[in-house]
Amino acid sequence: MLYRLATPVVGDEVVEIRVLQWHGDAGAAFAPGELVVELETHKALIEVRAGQAGVLRRIFAPDGAWIRVGEPFAVFSDGHDEPMGDDSAAEAAFLADFVID
Amino acid sequence: MSTEMPRMFFREAIARAIAEAMRADPRVLVLGQDVGAFGGAYREFDGLYAEFGAERVRDTPVAEAATMGVGVGAAAAGWRPVVSITYMDFVMLALDPLVNYGAKLRYKTAGRLTAPVVVKTTAGARGQGVAHSQCLESWLMSVPGLKVVAPSNPADAYGLMRSALRANGPVVFVDHKRLYPIPGDGPAPDTEVPIGKGRIARHGADLTLTTHSFMVHTSLQAAVILAEEGISVEVIDLRSLAPLDVDLIQASVSRTGALLTVEEGQVTCGVGAEVAARLRERGAAFAGARMGAIAAPVSSNPVLEAVAIPNAERVARAVRLLLRTRDSGHVDAGGGELSAL
Amino acid sequence: MMTIRAFEQALAARPNHGFQLLSAGEEAVAVGLCSALRPGDQLLTGGRSIGPALARGVEPRLLMAELLGKAAGVNRGKAGRGHLADPESGFFGAHAVVAGNISVAAGVALATKLSGRPDIVCILFGDGAAGAGALHETLNIAALWRLPLLFVCDNNQFSVSTPRRAALAPRKLSDLAAPFQIPGRTVDGMDVNVVAQAIELAASGVRAGEGPAFVECESERFAAHSSTARETRSREELKHTRARCPILRLIAELQATGRLDDTSLRALELEVEAEIAGAVAFAEAAPFPDPREALADVD
Repeated sequence: MLYRLATPVVGDEVVEIRVLQWHGDAGAAFAPGELVVELETHKALIEVRAGQAGVLRRIFAPDGAWIRVGEPFAVFSDGHDEPMGDDSAAEAAFLADFVID
Repeated sequence: MSTEMPRMFFREAIARAIAEAMRADPRVLVLGQDVGAFGGAYREFDGLYAEFGAERVRDTPVAEAATMGVGVGAAAAGWRPVVSITYMDFVMLALDPLVNYGAKLRYKTAGRLTAPVVVKTTAGARGQGVAHSQCLESWLMSVPGLKVVAPSNPADAYGLMRSALRANGPVVFVDHKRLYPIPGDGPAPDTEVPIGKGRIARHGADLTLTTHSFMVHTSLQAAVILAEEGISVEVIDLRSLAPLDVDLIQASVSRTGALLTVEEGQVTCGVGAEVAARLRERGAAFAGARMGAIAAPVSSNPVLEAVAIPNAERVARAVRLLLRTRDSGHVDAGGGELSAL
Repeated sequence: MMTIRAFEQALAARPNHGFQLLSAGEEAVAVGLCSALRPGDQLLTGGRSIGPALARGVEPRLLMAELLGKAAGVNRGKAGRGHLADPESGFFGAHAVVAGNISVAAGVALATKLSGRPDIVCILFGDGAAGAGALHETLNIAALWRLPLLFVCDNNQFSVSTPRRAALAPRKLSDLAAPFQIPGRTVDGMDVNVVAQAIELAASGVRAGEGPAFVECESERFAAHSSTARETRSREELKHTRARCPILRLIAELQATGRLDDTSLRALELEVEAEIAGAVAFAEAAPFPDPREALADVD
């Protein structure tokens, strides 16, 4: 199954978030608890950790890119070989959320 | 400044401008509460303490009057301090050294001494109550010898801070709590933002809207709403309140014939009152109205705060009312301050 | 001290003397203080600036011109007594807001410290300023940051009409420094040698990098607070006060120890007279500023 990775809920009127650093490239597997990506709001650093096991398949927002709150910015899947659909982030919006810690 | 700068948070623009100035000039200092290791209430001084140390980035006790006095005194003695006053409300405590000494020093000494200090302070309502919400920039506009600037985005924050740090006298740099979450493109290479120049944030033909700081974003949202109704609003981001870029505003109003001034502060003796008065003195003919906070303190209560300050819907409504006034020749007062509710 | 007294008398005798705060009676504080300051030091004062400015070395003719509003004055006539500034002479400036110059002086001291110079900054203020928050905030910051700042309180016992004991709770005003761990001392402000020694001692600690110090000089003013204020003391009180003249006291002391004879005293008096006459003549002959200077040096 494919999942979308969306930004976590943040308060403080956050409008846009910057992707600071991915801790794995497309193809990397993450166990629950592992650090997937660091994000930065105007106030704080956010560590996004996997809440479920999964494989990072596609990154829409690389290091340094900006994403809007709630916007999907990567795609995960349960296994390595599941077929991916369209490349776009728009498609990813229809996926289930990848659980994060 | 020739390198391209990336999209950045508002706070990063400020930190960057100050850091560059501190590298170029050892006389630039930062004084204020929580400016050191903490990096500022909004992280707007992030990195400065690590790079420049406690000698040049100094935490002060909660003593705005003395902090401002130390700032203007050090400036008079040849240094270039940035004095951080976390909440603009507390500039009130620092007015004596800023206004009676700093702003008057060049004049009273006939040029023998000057006080090139930058006062950086954050205004605006954001749930923090009657004494932590005020926009007081209009109070400072009439002080001879004092300059007041108010950026609305990171590029202008960078440019205006740079310009302020090179000014020959005191400059108050007013930003807003609600600007900090809004990132923006870095400044274009090799551009400056001189004090005294506004910018057209959105071109339009039907009405001139002048505003500054966070209200620029609110006004631009209103302009989008109005565009869908076929009303074209020209939004001018003042950027500099003292001196005001009256030429820019006059050129716009001479085309539109209508002026709505929008601010988050009080309209009585406010920024808009001054803009309108200056245009009238120049013989500009226009239908005019001012919009600002309601005439009440701004409570932390979310319902009451939301009512107290302009939002995009109410700005749009004010534009429609003003255009009806202009076109009909009768003043449409719109039924009072809270009638839109 | 004689120069100060004669200067102020010449000024006060004029019908157009302006709004003045005079130092008569307090000359020992100004002169004793300045005798302990060095060329690189800076002195800031409140509104009672004429005595300290002269003691610091501001030229009498330029000062008289300033007080009479002439363009040849220290600040082109734009400062007057309340704001005169001659930083090249080590007189960083007067500021007419009571206690308004105290935190400014701390800023000058910070600049001095950061520049690595061995100089000190002195802030002279009256008992009238001792109740102001600015003093307490500045004592705190100066102590925290170990600023090279010497606080000198010229306690002339009155804040316009309010006697010192009715305005200020501390037993001695130098006690105000104690909570901030700043060394403080109270001395007789009517004896120029006592003042000089006390300031020299306090200043030496400041110069050695020990941080700020506080000296209170108890003095008496011979006239009302200002040229427009009503005198609150009785004729008897004033007679008693004026008998404590620091000039006469020093003269008596020097004469008693054989260091001053009548001829020398007379010579001094004539010298002072000539200097003041020259200052007055210079100031009277100097023109007023062009009215357009009203818009010069605003920013």
